[in-house]
Amino acid sequence: MATIDITKLRKEFGDEGEQIVAVEDLDLTIEDGEFMVFVGPSGCGKTTTLRCVAGLEDVSSGSIEFDGVDVTDQRARERNVAMVFQNYALYPHMTVRKNIGFPLRLSTKQSSDEIDERVEEIATLLGIESLLDDKPKELSGGQQQRVALGRAIIRDPEVFLMDEPLSNLDAKLRSVMRTELQELQQELDVTTAYVTHDQVEAMAMGDRIAILNEGRLQQVGDANEVYRSPTNEFVAGFIGSPSINLVTAEVDGDTLVGPGNFEYVLDDVSWVDGRSRVRVGVRPEDMHLVEDGAGSMPSEVTVVEHMGNENFLYARMGEVDLTARVPSKMRPPEGSRVRFDFDEEDLYLFDVDTQESVKTKTGETDVGYEQYVHNSV
Amino acid sequence: MRRETRNDALWKFGSYIFLLTITALVLIPIYWMLVAATIPQSEFFSWPPRLLPGLHYLQNFQALQESVDFIRSIGNSLIIAVSYTALSLVLCSMAGFAFAKYEFRFKEPLFYAILATLVLPIQLLIIPLFLLITQIGWTNSYLAVILPWAANPLGIFLMRQNMKAIPDALLESARMDGATEFQLYYKIALPTMIPSLSALAIILFLNQWQAFLYPLIVLQEEKMFTIPIALAQLVGQQRVNFDQVMVATSLAIIPIFLMFIFLQQYFIKGILSGSVKQ
Repeated sequence: MATIDITKLRKEFGDEGEQIVAVEDLDLTIEDGEFMVFVGPSGCGKTTTLRCVAGLEDVSSGSIEFDGVDVTDQRARERNVAMVFQNYALYPHMTVRKNIGFPLRLSTKQSSDEIDERVEEIATLLGIESLLDDKPKELSGGQQQRVALGRAIIRDPEVFLMDEPLSNLDAKLRSVMRTELQELQQELDVTTAYVTHDQVEAMAMGDRIAILNEGRLQQVGDANEVYRSPTNEFVAGFIGSPSINLVTAEVDGDTLVGPGNFEYVLDDVSWVDGRSRVRVGVRPEDMHLVEDGAGSMPSEVTVVEHMGNENFLYARMGEVDLTARVPSKMRPPEGSRVRFDFDEEDLYLFDVDTQESVKTKTGETDVGYEQYVHNSV
Repeated sequence: MRRETRNDALWKFGSYIFLLTITALVLIPIYWMLVAATIPQSEFFSWPPRLLPGLHYLQNFQALQESVDFIRSIGNSLIIAVSYTALSLVLCSMAGFAFAKYEFRFKEPLFYAILATLVLPIQLLIIPLFLLITQIGWTNSYLAVILPWAANPLGIFLMRQNMKAIPDALLESARMDGATEFQLYYKIALPTMIPSLSALAIILFLNQWQAFLYPLIVLQEEKMFTIPIALAQLVGQQRVNFDQVMVATSLAIIPIFLMFIFLQQYFIKGILSGSVKQ
């Protein structure tokens, strides 16, 4: 197990003249045993960062340390790091047994019997002991995934790297494997860096989440932190599904005035002191329908999506598209005019120019759970 | 619907007729070679021609062995073709692997330079090669035939094209598992390339088995003759020993047949591999 220290990591691609900066001055520490998820849109540098940690890419500048030991110039095979690839990268000409045992055969002097024993142990742990003599092409996606995991964990690496390992699985299997991966990681207690573009996966799995955009680290924090207290508009927009509603509003005394007759009166005016304009953000789940005459967001419903347990209302407020998550009983017909409102504690405000956060959620995060815990059960 | 089925059947019938015709055209000379190998020279041009094999095969073979040491030639040919094929497979696959999976300075120009040598006719290379071989003192040796052509540009090209299909993730995964660069080549790249290697093996073996002009120049002693050179000895100015030629060719095609039958499962896969996304 190891603590990973990434300092001022920079990675450029391309020849001089037309360089693309994939990762720019990234500083990050992944604690011993931590499950860190890198998330961001395509091309944000998350996979490149992972590959630099793996030793598959040379860094342009900066350093990577495992437990204080600088590994920046070490090759991949010298780093004691295991990686699971998006397409599993199983060796097609080897059986499952050979695939899982391959790293041990290469990196240790253990005898064949010892290796076989260890392979069987791992296979049992992953529930694939009956597949040991099959070739990868005979396996389903989920089984291939498990073999890839087995190959990664067999030599007790210091660091686990996973590059979108679940993206080739169907939705149901993905959620099963998600849980399995988490359990496995907790059981093995290996420092893990996990890359995904799926923010739901990131929120569900990560001890902490590192959000990247255009090669720059935007924020690091646990799921609650990045959801409730995003550092900027990008993080607020990326985390949460459906994504946050954003409107540019003028500040008129204590009132925020926006397109389509949006008007919201602030209780605490200090948030917008000295500002004439501000970006207003409200999460779909914080919007609620209110009776006629009240409400700050008059809009027209364009589409209603019935999810069973809830409904997504898509509406237009002037030129702005809004999304609201409402209880499944609320089903206004398409084309109807409605009004939404939200609480000030759920309001996000961002600077118009820098897009940095001005205000994030302020309500209680924890309502206390002592009364719900029944130790006698 | 009904008409379509009939058209399909007609089309299929036509295709079979066409294929049978082609097969017959290919098989008739081979059959004639086998018949001719078993009859005495005197019956060779008789009319009507003999259609059934005779009993003269062993006598013909004896005559052949007296004219040229044909058994030795077979041995020479086998040694040269087999070692050439093995060496060339190693060299071509290594070069192909490097061109397909590594980045290095002047990679593209170097690759195209190798490809460009394909258009050089053998006649252009023979004199400089002969001078070189003589200077080294390799005339009348197996090495003289094997080495100069071992790095085969066509083979390098074929291997490079096929190895490009090996996913990068597979090699990276092996690197993470602790493989050295050479282990990547022989533990990952080579085993996944067996179909292409088999296809290339047949091409290389065939090339060397039937090579005539270059071996004729560097192998001057009879004990070093390969099959094609030995065959050439049977063609005199006044007289061609057709019976012996036919016995010799009937023996010469056996290794090729065997090799093709043995490797064809891979060979056919090798031709198709890369044509569709797996």
